[in-house]
Amino acid sequence: MSAVLSAHNLVKHFPLGGWGKARRVVRAVDDVSFEVPAGETLGVVGESGCGKSTTARLLVQLLAPTSGAVRFEGRVVGPEVPLKELRRHVQMVFQDSYASLNPRMTLQQAIAFGPMVHGVSETEAQRTAMTLLERVGLDPSRFGQRYPHEVSGGQRQRVNIARALAFEPKVIVLDEAVSALDKSVEAQVLNLLMDLKRERGLTYVFISHDLNVVRHISDRVMVMYLGEVAEIGPVREIYAEPRHPYTSALLAAMPSLDPSRRTEEPPLLGDPPNPINPPAGCRFHTRCAHAMDICSARRPGDLAVGSRHLAACHLNDLAEKETAA
Amino acid sequence: MTPLVEVKDLSVRFDGTPSVYAVNDVSFTLAQGEVLGILGESGSGKSVTLKTLLRLLPERRARVTGEVKVNGSDVLGLTGRALADHRGGVVSMIFQDPALALDPVYTIGRQIAETVVRHDGVSMREGKARALEMLELVRIPSAKRRLAAYPHEMSGGMRQRAMIALALSCRPKLLLADEPTTALDATVQIQVLLLLRELQRELGMGVIFVTHDIGVAVEVSDKLAVMYAGSFVEAGSVAEVIGDARHPYSKGLLAANLVGAEPGATLEAIPGAPPALHAPPVGCAFAPRCPIATKACEAGPLPVWRTSEARWARCVAACAASAPESCQTAAE
Repeated sequence: MSAVLSAHNLVKHFPLGGWGKARRVVRAVDDVSFEVPAGETLGVVGESGCGKSTTARLLVQLLAPTSGAVRFEGRVVGPEVPLKELRRHVQMVFQDSYASLNPRMTLQQAIAFGPMVHGVSETEAQRTAMTLLERVGLDPSRFGQRYPHEVSGGQRQRVNIARALAFEPKVIVLDEAVSALDKSVEAQVLNLLMDLKRERGLTYVFISHDLNVVRHISDRVMVMYLGEVAEIGPVREIYAEPRHPYTSALLAAMPSLDPSRRTEEPPLLGDPPNPINPPAGCRFHTRCAHAMDICSARRPGDLAVGSRHLAACHLNDLAEKETAA
Repeated sequence: MTPLVEVKDLSVRFDGTPSVYAVNDVSFTLAQGEVLGILGESGSGKSVTLKTLLRLLPERRARVTGEVKVNGSDVLGLTGRALADHRGGVVSMIFQDPALALDPVYTIGRQIAETVVRHDGVSMREGKARALEMLELVRIPSAKRRLAAYPHEMSGGMRQRAMIALALSCRPKLLLADEPTTALDATVQIQVLLLLRELQRELGMGVIFVTHDIGVAVEVSDKLAVMYAGSFVEAGSVAEVIGDARHPYSKGLLAANLVGAEPGATLEAIPGAPPALHAPPVGCAFAPRCPIATKACEAGPLPVWRTSEARWARCVAACAASAPESCQTAAE
């Protein structure tokens, strides 16, 4: 399967000021590589500050990487794929449905605006906008002329999805797109996303902190911790048999939905460390129950622990050596 | 034994153009040492219900009717010093965003000590000692040093612990928790939940815990009430409500939380959106979104399916599906 979108050693550091040796940076994303095969949904999970959103913004080039590259269908974005072309194929939906719409444009105008900038005639763009509104479940005659503040959060998020679809993109990056919605509305939007994917053969990068939602919608999952990829692999494997202690802890931290089996022990203590000065070696070693000497000394490499399943943990080198011996 | 909290036919209306009927005829009781979880979506009136117990609503715009008794005293009738004693002494509250709830210009230690001095009439020195005790109780690392910390110097999880310490510093009989873990990361959320559960047991206080997250409610509550459009639609023990939901809204909420859902399958989503509460509800507020609504749902008064004092659901369909003796019409 060919990757429609891939990240190659992406790094993003945000400067915090200071000069020379005193210069400090937030290591938001540090050497992240992964592939998104066409037609798959890649779920991205992790706690706040782990670099999920920065990764999303790097993928669609809303931020320029400090180093590393994004490739679209094998070609490097920037030199080989101009931004204008990338935008046609890769679109994004944000968490805050209100902030991502222009308050002075009607919903129909908002959807038609992008294609018009790209040279589609106005009548054609308006017609597409009507069809798309209809497709996301909003009656165009009732909603087309309304402004963003006149509709509910769930309806606004549908408009944002329709706007992303206006270019007939290949990939949509969804950054916490359903997190701000109420549960009952969230389920409707998830259904819409799954239907659209089947219908149009879309590829999603689905970023969320909600592990239940990610399990439901993803084919593969990437777990991030402090700007690095801890583990990436098929959704079933990761949820059934996580190979990184952080993944296990994250899964164990999900509230139990069974009153007779409540959580008894918190799987992790303390807060995630600061990405300004992350721990040396494996960044998780300060909170890891299995930490060994090597963990603080050397950063673990991505080790294949299954087919298309990578984990960055020294525990897996050990297992490897034992099976080799 | 009289219950710790007795709420009867509580209604809250906010005057304005248009008026909002935020809470409509809510009744419940809570025994000493019990944890009630109130589950509902945004705008369902769960926070407003909590705030009435502390009289935190704007007095001029909020029309509160009904009866609210906490620890034997009539909360709606409290004034002056009695009200100030009630707030923080008998009942206290923790909020979703501790950065907003704590005072940014005083240290954590000072804020806790101040509360203790006011309610227990002790010296500032004793107040400070209690503050240290409380920070240790909520397991803030190097508590002594943190006494002198300002809220902005702490992480989100730590601030939430500090707020819990502040709320519990005068040993309230009732703790109100308004989505206290929603803003926290998953691994920190579970730490705070388990801490709350442990402290509740240790101190034997009653807790009312408001959340939109079923998982969180299951982790902490003994009893559960589901709230929709300003009314309680179903109540019972956690196991009863989660395992055997009777109201279509509760069922829909469970499905939307992906309880036992097959990955990738279409979810049984509740269509539509919650109603605007600009008029007092007639009949079942959920009827327009309900897949099994009938004529009887729109008219009201609604029958209540009930197997015990604490286990009930206000739903026509739930009544129709069970034996007639477990059903009460509203007139009775």
